[in-house]
Amino acid sequence: MKRIALLLLAALLVSLYFYGNVAVAEEDEEHGGDIIYTKPLKAVIFSHKAHTEDIGLECDWCHEETFEMEALYMQENTDFTMESLCNENYCGTCHNGDISFSTTTQCARCHIGVKGYNELVRQGKIEPEEGDVIQVEGGGH
Amino acid sequence: MKLMNINLEKLIPESLDSVSPMERRSFLKMGLVITGVFAGGRIFSVVSNVNEAFASSTDFVEKYPYSPHYSMVIRQGLCIDCEQCLQACKETNSVPDYGYRTRILTKTVSDAIGRQREFIPILCNHCNDAPCTRACPTKATYKNEVNGVVMMNSKKCIGCKMCILACPYEARYYNAERRAIDKCNFCYDTRISKGEKLTACSYVCPTGARIFGDISDPENVVYSMVHQIEKQVWVLRPESGTKPNVFYMKATRSSPWDLRKQAGAR
Amino acid sequence: MIKKIKSETAERWGYMGIQSLIDSGNYFYVFAVIGVVALAGFAVGLHGTFTGYHHVYGVTRQVPWGVLISAYIFCVVTSTGLCLVSSIGHVFGYEPYMPIAKRAVFLSIVFMLGGFTIIFFDVENPFRMPIYNALSPNFTSNMWWMGTLYTLYLLALIVEYFFLLDQNHSMSRLAGLLGVIFGVAAHSNLGAVFGMLHGREFWYGPYMPIYFIVSAMMSGGAAIIFFSCLAWKIDRTVLTRRMERGIKAVCQLTILLIAIILFFTFWKIISGIVAPEKYIAIKAFISGPYAPHFWIAEVGLGLIVPFVLLIRSEGINTNLMFAATGFMMVGIFFMRYDLVLAGQIVPVFHAMHVEEYNSLLHYMPSFHEIAVVVAGLSFSAALFMLGEKVLNAHKFQKHAIVPPGAFICPGCGGIHYKKEGESEEDALRRHHRMRKVDREDEHA
Ligand code: HEC
Ligand code: HEC
Ligand code: HEC
Repeated sequence: MKRIALLLLAALLVSLYFYGNVAVAEEDEEHGGDIIYTKPLKAVIFSHKAHTEDIGLECDWCHEETFEMEALYMQENTDFTMESLCNENYCGTCHNGDISFSTTTQCARCHIGVKGYNELVRQGKIEPEEGDVIQVEGGGH
Repeated sequence: MKLMNINLEKLIPESLDSVSPMERRSFLKMGLVITGVFAGGRIFSVVSNVNEAFASSTDFVEKYPYSPHYSMVIRQGLCIDCEQCLQACKETNSVPDYGYRTRILTKTVSDAIGRQREFIPILCNHCNDAPCTRACPTKATYKNEVNGVVMMNSKKCIGCKMCILACPYEARYYNAERRAIDKCNFCYDTRISKGEKLTACSYVCPTGARIFGDISDPENVVYSMVHQIEKQVWVLRPESGTKPNVFYMKATRSSPWDLRKQAGAR
Repeated sequence: MIKKIKSETAERWGYMGIQSLIDSGNYFYVFAVIGVVALAGFAVGLHGTFTGYHHVYGVTRQVPWGVLISAYIFCVVTSTGLCLVSSIGHVFGYEPYMPIAKRAVFLSIVFMLGGFTIIFFDVENPFRMPIYNALSPNFTSNMWWMGTLYTLYLLALIVEYFFLLDQNHSMSRLAGLLGVIFGVAAHSNLGAVFGMLHGREFWYGPYMPIYFIVSAMMSGGAAIIFFSCLAWKIDRTVLTRRMERGIKAVCQLTILLIAIILFFTFWKIISGIVAPEKYIAIKAFISGPYAPHFWIAEVGLGLIVPFVLLIRSEGINTNLMFAATGFMMVGIFFMRYDLVLAGQIVPVFHAMHVEEYNSLLHYMPSFHEIAVVVAGLSFSAALFMLGEKVLNAHKFQKHAIVPPGAFICPGCGGIHYKKEGESEEDALRRHHRMRKVDREDEHA
């Protein structure tokens, strides 16, 4: 009896595992995935997963008026800076210390830095830009 | 100094809040001026002695052995690893690709709430008691007598690498082009001696994480940042007793955004 | 006339001429092979010099000292040890140690030269070294003292060896005393080079200088036995009764010193385990990636195995002693290597818990580094082999005819003249400036 129960449990776990994987893959298609901003500064991460799946924000919250459904669209704007973020534009509409943490704190939460950027390139998650020098950390004589 | 260390050992490591203003005040009463607290939990770097502690503010200045006494404050929370500073340093001081004078370390605290990452810039600490200058056999590396910058006289360097080993901050590397050890000199030859006010790294820093100045001048921003009793200021590796001149503090800012940058920065 | 003086000197010095090496058959071929290996090593080293060491060496900014420094330390430790152990005899007058002096001092110089060769390829600008050591000395720098004291030490050794060859024993004794003084100063200072780095927990403290001196004596004892046994294997006539006695005495001393170093090592570990900063490095050696180095090479080959073998040899069984000290030479090399690395593998920012430095640092000797070490060591080996043949195996001059009123000294093997009414014993003491023992007092 016990054995059968165990087997069933194992089968359940395995199927759940695969189901989970498939689900994630599908979700990736559904929202915009991770977006890495490199201008004006390297590098800022925006994660759809963190904002939709984890926190449960609706697409409309952002895509109604704040953001285009096109990656790196707003990066071309000249006012895509911390100053305008602090004035509650772009990400700052929520990251104002009210709805979510303020842009004047926790800098390294959005800013993954050159290290984070290089790491993502190394993992093959993003294409390196022209002129990027990806150095292996810890080297140097 | 000795007495000091014994007391400090008792503090709990890694807790920045482990030194209350009360404690700090009692250290001041002991005749020791505190310039910081280390993340390892120890108050360090005593720059004055008993006689000078309660003297007037002008004496206070005198406890710094150099004038101008160049120092840097790293506002650790503000570094976003954009690495503009590394780039500027490389270009200004012709640092080769295999070396660096300054670097940014990453600290991840996986069980922290909210932000879990922190970037920590490191560079030569221009120690008052520099182990490297003691170790150098030929005085190729030395303290500038006026401003305390630890400098290199490249042509005297025999390349024994003793100073690399002696340095507790890993601030030195061998530069084959110069045929000498190379290190941060607060851009003394490339900028400061030419009349610039800031080092290349603090000039380009977009967030004001690197504040450069003269700690012996009460008017100076570095002085006023380090000399606040309610702020935690610390140095790296205080247990080495080197009396560093690069200070670290936590900082977040409040709007408006522009105030963040150091005056004179790009 | 000049020829005659030349041949007299040659005889006194035991100089056999280069021809004796060339004529030695297989021995010469072995010598030639070792010589070629040394030259090849130099060539590789020079290649490194011109391409730039940072391209070809395994050392990095985080681990700036690697196998070259280890090998250098191995050489100078052995040199100092040879000098110190042999000084017991010909400087401080303990007779059984006297016959080992000539070979020991010769080897002492040889190892010093080997060490300097290796350091030549480690220092980036070796030619600036003598210039700025003199023009811009930093008296607070252990490194400065190291260069200066070892140079003086080498000079003293050379003078000492000259007088040993010349059989001028009072002068050789004086120079030997200087050699001992400079040797101890230089060597304990080498310990201080490490011991005074207060940024490096593992090394910091007075332990290093003390350890260096004691372990130097141990290496010296091992080297004397090893090379004497080797010399005996090359030429059976080397092992005279006097030499046998000398080796036995050195063997006993070496056993004692191994015991001392064993307990040094033991307490270094125990005290390191309780100190949080040192613990990481210690752990890497007792159970981490360096455990094979430590347990097999350093403790096993370097200490325990030779300890047992040397005791079993009773200072008589040359095969056992040869094996024991051979193991020791290997073990001691690893001892130096471990010592140099142990202070560096823990990153300086380890306590900050940053990602870049959350593991031990890694160092692997590169081909060029190994080649330079091989060059230095085989250079020393070649010089040793040269010395065995060309300098008549460091034997003292054979005296066919002892002049009237003279005798062959049982200590140094030279010819001493007795004063009138003097016994051989008294003449020996006078000649070697040993204090006279008042026998009557003794009996009373
Ligand atoms: C917290 C705000 C936010 C929410 C919620 C959000 N998005 Fe986005 N989305 C963005 C931002 C910002 C961009 C990039 C705009 C830019 O760079 O100009 C973006 C871009 C996109 C893109 C374009 C990606 C590409 O690769 O070009 C798609 C598609 C997208 N979002 C889909 C969705 C969907 C579907 C949802 C709901 C499940 C959603 N988003 C929810 C902020 C949000
Ligand atoms: C619709 C409101 C909204 C907008 C617009 C928005 N965010 Fe957020 N964001 C949130 C909320 C809510 C959280 C959750 C906060 C928390 O966990 O404390 C969050 C969390 C985050 C986090 C932390 C995620 C994690 O895994 O810890 C990052 C990084 C972030 N946002 C970046 C951005 C960036 C960059 C933008 C602009 C492109 C942006 N956000 C725009 C609401 C928003
Ligand atoms: C909510 C996410 C978020 C937080 C928190 C945040 N930033 Fe930014 N930051 C951005 C975005 C988005 C940009 C523009 C994209 C880019 O530069 O890659 C940006 C750009 C910048 C820039 C370059 C543009 C300019 O205004 O000069 C600086 C400097 C900067 N941030 C500093 C900081 C500092 C310092 C902090 C902490 C006090 C901080 N940021 C916190 C999202 C954030």
